[in-house]
Amino acid sequence: MEKRNDGGWSPYLAGALSGLVSVLSVWIAGQFIGVSTTFVRTTGMIEKILDPGRVAQMEYFIKTVPKIDWQWVFVAGIFIGSLIASTTSGSFRWTALPDMWEARFGISRMKRSLVAFAGGTVGMFGARLADG
Amino acid sequence: MKMLLYGLVTGILFGFLLQKGRVLRYDKQLGALRLMDMTIIKFMLSSVMVGMVGVYLLKDLGLAELSVKPTILGGVIIGGLIFGIGWGLLGYCPGTAIGAVGEGRWDALWGVLGMLVGAGLYAEAYPAMKSSVLTWGDYGKITLPQLLGVNHWVVIILFVVGGLMLFRWFEKKGL
Repeated sequence: MEKRNDGGWSPYLAGALSGLVSVLSVWIAGQFIGVSTTFVRTTGMIEKILDPGRVAQMEYFIKTVPKIDWQWVFVAGIFIGSLIASTTSGSFRWTALPDMWEARFGISRMKRSLVAFAGGTVGMFGARLADG
Repeated sequence: MKMLLYGLVTGILFGFLLQKGRVLRYDKQLGALRLMDMTIIKFMLSSVMVGMVGVYLLKDLGLAELSVKPTILGGVIIGGLIFGIGWGLLGYCPGTAIGAVGEGRWDALWGVLGMLVGAGLYAEAYPAMKSSVLTWGDYGKITLPQLLGVNHWVVIILFVVGGLMLFRWFEKKGL
């Protein structure tokens, strides 16, 4: 394994601080941390462009209205926060294939893309079914 | 508007900490699923432990309300199993996929696109799920302390002590 200083912190410390952030969020904004509802809202917003009449009638999009809300901006913030932390510590790397993946499944980017896409599709369906 | 600003700041802090904790990585996530590297578990459990204490403290002080989701065994068990398959294939969960793209791991972008499709498919399937899987084992909005009939701090203290013992074991085993 290549050893380089990636500016990382102990997972205990970073995890505990993230817990503190979620407590402060509940206290100050009354908002609990979550991510997957944002995918529903985003898909709803895209589908609304294509067929607004249909989206307006779908039960799930009536329950989870396609709009930008607290959680949507929170999710966008995760991207920005990660970008800030990685670029300021020199650990930002364009990576197409994870090391463990490459060692086991080879260098085909197409294969990785397809499996990642399928995994995302299946995973989100399951997450929504579990209401998480 | 103020709410959106809170969301953005909270997200930036959260994403920053996820990156610092090195959890936005396929190798770490698969490492956890393969029981080889417990970084993800250390991060998540630390977060849950602090969150649990903090949120219940706020509740007891009357500063916040709990947000309890209904326990529907059909949805949680079947959904959880399906989620696990997807997580194992992709190697990122929804939040970490977004964060992984932020540190340049663009294979996660395919996962994010897949998640949008998965959310759309679930929206199509929802009426059918609502009348089947989501009626199986519906216990409503229950919590563990309610179920056990004990004060919530008993559950919290046991959870935190159990978590700390697990951490000690991880360190001993070098996981």
